[in-house]
Amino acid sequence: MRVFRPGLLAVSTLIPLALLAVVVFLTSYSWPAIQFNGLHFLTTETWNLGNLYANPVRRDGFEVPIGATYGIWVFIVGTLASSAIALLLAVPVGIGVALFLNDFAPHQLRGTFAQVVELLAMVPSVVYGLWGLEILAPLVLTHIAPFLERVLGFIPFFSGAATSGYGLLSASLVLAIMVLPVITNTLLEAIKRVPSELRESSFGLGATRAEVLLKIVMPSVRVPLIGAVILALGRALGETMAVLMVSGGALNYLPDTIYSPITSMAAFIASQLDSALQDPSGMAVRSLAEIALVLLIIAVIVNVIARLLTHRAGLHRV
Amino acid sequence: MNLNLSRRTQLKAGLAVAGLTLASGLFALPAQAAQITLLETGSTLLYPLFNLWVPDYTKAHPDVKITTQGTGSGTGIAEAISGVAQIGASDAYMADAQIKQNPSILNIPLAISAQTINYNVPGLNKTHLKLDGPVLAGIYDGSIKNWDDPAIKALNPGVKLPNHTIVPIHRTDGSGDTFIFSQYLSFSTPKWNDSVGYGTTISWPAVQGGVGANGNPGMVQACHETPYSVAYIGVSFHKEIAKAGLGTAMIKNKAGHFLLPTAKTVSAAAAGLIAKTPADERLSLVFSEGADSYPIINYEYAIVNSKQANPETAKAIREFLGWAVQSKGGNAPKYLDQVRFIPLPARIQELSKAQIAKIQ
Amino acid sequence: MSSLVSSPTAPVSIASERVRRLQRRRSLFSGFFAVLCVLAFAIVVVPLADILWMTLVKGGSAVSPVLFTQVTNGISGGLLNAIEGTLVLSGGAILLGAPLGVLAGIYLSEYGNGRWGNTVRFLADVLAGVPSIVLGYFVYVTLVIGMGWQFSALAGAITLAIMVMPYIARFTELAMRQNPTSLRESAYALGCKEHQVVLRVLLPAARSGVITGVLFALAFSVGETAPLIYTAGWSNYLWNGHLTQEPIGYLTYVIWNFINEPFASAHALAYAAAFLVVAMVLVINLVARAFLTSKRTV
Repeated sequence: MRVFRPGLLAVSTLIPLALLAVVVFLTSYSWPAIQFNGLHFLTTETWNLGNLYANPVRRDGFEVPIGATYGIWVFIVGTLASSAIALLLAVPVGIGVALFLNDFAPHQLRGTFAQVVELLAMVPSVVYGLWGLEILAPLVLTHIAPFLERVLGFIPFFSGAATSGYGLLSASLVLAIMVLPVITNTLLEAIKRVPSELRESSFGLGATRAEVLLKIVMPSVRVPLIGAVILALGRALGETMAVLMVSGGALNYLPDTIYSPITSMAAFIASQLDSALQDPSGMAVRSLAEIALVLLIIAVIVNVIARLLTHRAGLHRV
Repeated sequence: MNLNLSRRTQLKAGLAVAGLTLASGLFALPAQAAQITLLETGSTLLYPLFNLWVPDYTKAHPDVKITTQGTGSGTGIAEAISGVAQIGASDAYMADAQIKQNPSILNIPLAISAQTINYNVPGLNKTHLKLDGPVLAGIYDGSIKNWDDPAIKALNPGVKLPNHTIVPIHRTDGSGDTFIFSQYLSFSTPKWNDSVGYGTTISWPAVQGGVGANGNPGMVQACHETPYSVAYIGVSFHKEIAKAGLGTAMIKNKAGHFLLPTAKTVSAAAAGLIAKTPADERLSLVFSEGADSYPIINYEYAIVNSKQANPETAKAIREFLGWAVQSKGGNAPKYLDQVRFIPLPARIQELSKAQIAKIQ
Repeated sequence: MSSLVSSPTAPVSIASERVRRLQRRRSLFSGFFAVLCVLAFAIVVVPLADILWMTLVKGGSAVSPVLFTQVTNGISGGLLNAIEGTLVLSGGAILLGAPLGVLAGIYLSEYGNGRWGNTVRFLADVLAGVPSIVLGYFVYVTLVIGMGWQFSALAGAITLAIMVMPYIARFTELAMRQNPTSLRESAYALGCKEHQVVLRVLLPAARSGVITGVLFALAFSVGETAPLIYTAGWSNYLWNGHLTQEPIGYLTYVIWNFINEPFASAHALAYAAAFLVVAMVLVINLVARAFLTSKRTV
């Protein structure tokens, strides 16, 4: 049919179109902010909306509130740190769970256990935030942080008492639990596809279970694993509500330990949008749009790195 | 294979339905006039009060449907300006520059609310510590680091203050509470006014370990879970504060007295500023004169466009807001007491009514 | 070179002893690894159980038939309007996003090995990483304000659809790629035309993966809050059928907002809404699994 393939092609363009629309919108909308903020935007630690109750002044050719300085270095650090630690925690555990589901769980229960993990993916972000607020943050303050300090206190990053349960640690833990199902499920599909001959022959050679899994199965799913990690990273970078509720909302300072409050870019946009709307000059909302653009660029960079890694592995699939 | 056919037709049907709904949606007519629908959005401090008002009001006036949203003062103002909402709720009046841009927008006080400064110092939560503007400014800008700092000790002679770092808690979301708290700091402490200023969101000075919480309950929770912390919380949350066992501070007013927010002290503060309130009612009530005036109070505003889309909507808004400011209507104790707000003084009621009449 | 299995009757020698020690270490490690994996699973189960427990316990006091019969009046009442709204918004998102996503996924798996396919795949991953609040604001400026739709069900549904489309596309692609080439070849051999091969043979065979993708998407959409605040708004009333000009309620708004009210009844409603959302998602999952396992022919 003449219509079929072109039809599919047309539909497939919707995704790039949607993304393009968002990018064009963000860029054009934040263009005045981009010009006003320059590169300092990325490196300045201070975020100041300025005096919204005085009349805007003219600076560098733009109308901005008095004292307005827009710098997002604090939020970039917060986003990257929480996502990185979350992945550091979620990837090994996710691999362990996937291997458990495929190899160690009793056969009859495999389906149920798999569903349990899927359920984890389906809990809404706000509910994670609520749970983090009610249960995890107090737990971090009273048990987890002191424990970490005792065990890892010789490393400066882990030393120093936690003053509150809201911070990088809590945010990373919540993120880790949220992205874990993404890693597990993708990996599980891939592990199931590993040909049984590969396993059987390895066992035949006398390898132990752990050796088969770690030395034969895992390397063969390396590419889907990278894909899973990227998907997980994407989810972690864009996570808004849950991080907003447990990250501690730091402003104008960088975290010095793992227990310090942080703010992620997505959480910041969500919490600041309301205030930014009160800026009569409009520069505040445009700067928020600029943050969104930066987040988008980071997502692009992450995906590019993933592509490069998979290409180096010599495979063009996935 | 039955499933194949149904899947394909499913897809086709799905696309068709989607297309039809899209088409019909684009041409959907607005809700017809038999029932007027009003949308109120904005301040989370006013949200509980609106939620107390709306069920009773709509029961008495079944031709009006009012939806309430708690999104934040900034959103309330923005949506009132854009016309998406008919009534915007805000704890902060609009800035001069905003009024210049949107001259048809009215700021109409509906009630008066107040704020408490709470803390969680083990052993001291039952005593009312005395704090003032400069001390709080020092805590929030990091110059006062410990609870037993000489400045705090000077205000609280005889109280055994612990040697422990203070954790200042602020709001992450744009908030009317931040607005009036920062106004208190600005009006009482010139240093703060020059360096930080006031607003629904401000650039909080870098204090290592300072926590940002989301929403008033977030403030209560953060204060409750963080020993040696201090927070500013809207007075409607007195029950939560009591349940969490937080301490409430006595705050120094302009006359030099330390006060707790009670109906008496808040009314006194409001009364002191009746004469100063302009016709457009944009006035800060923070740090007012008077021996008994509690310093951290504010008008709760309805932000409304005086030019509405059609006369029926305007009439519905006028009637609702008119009811809201009446002492027998929305300003009755049975509503306001639940959120610990104060009714509008009589003259302010008149001013509000005058503004309401402008909605056409 | 020597046998790795030590038999009891083998002659005792130093080499054999070493081998046996090595063997024991390897088995110990294997056992240890198994324990690690079980532990990993436990780490996952505990928070989940805790979350479910929390919503059950705290929302329990508000769970009653009233939830399903009354609308919210802002502080208490029922959740009927929110439940209906969630169904409408998520249903709309799937209705708009699933067909498009599935078709895009099919394109990627069947014809997507070239440069365009790689580009689309890459951009789908990027789109999946755009924070939901950004999409929400984008729809707010362009559709809610720009096109004058105001807070509306359609704006909310479109936002959700944009969010889920890349996920569905990728899941569909992954599922379709699992089809053995023999399936494709035999379909062609039987004389099927291209669209018949894809839509009537390959897609049904990949059914389970596709449906999993749609389910994930549905779950995402049910649980989203931030983008809907600026597109769907919120309504205290049941949906009156208008796609535009009329805001609509949804459960996650209740969770996010009612927890911020100074009324205990509001808090109970928030947790009840949380419980409902999780329950809804679980039910969707179970029903789909049942559907899949009963109709499995491949």
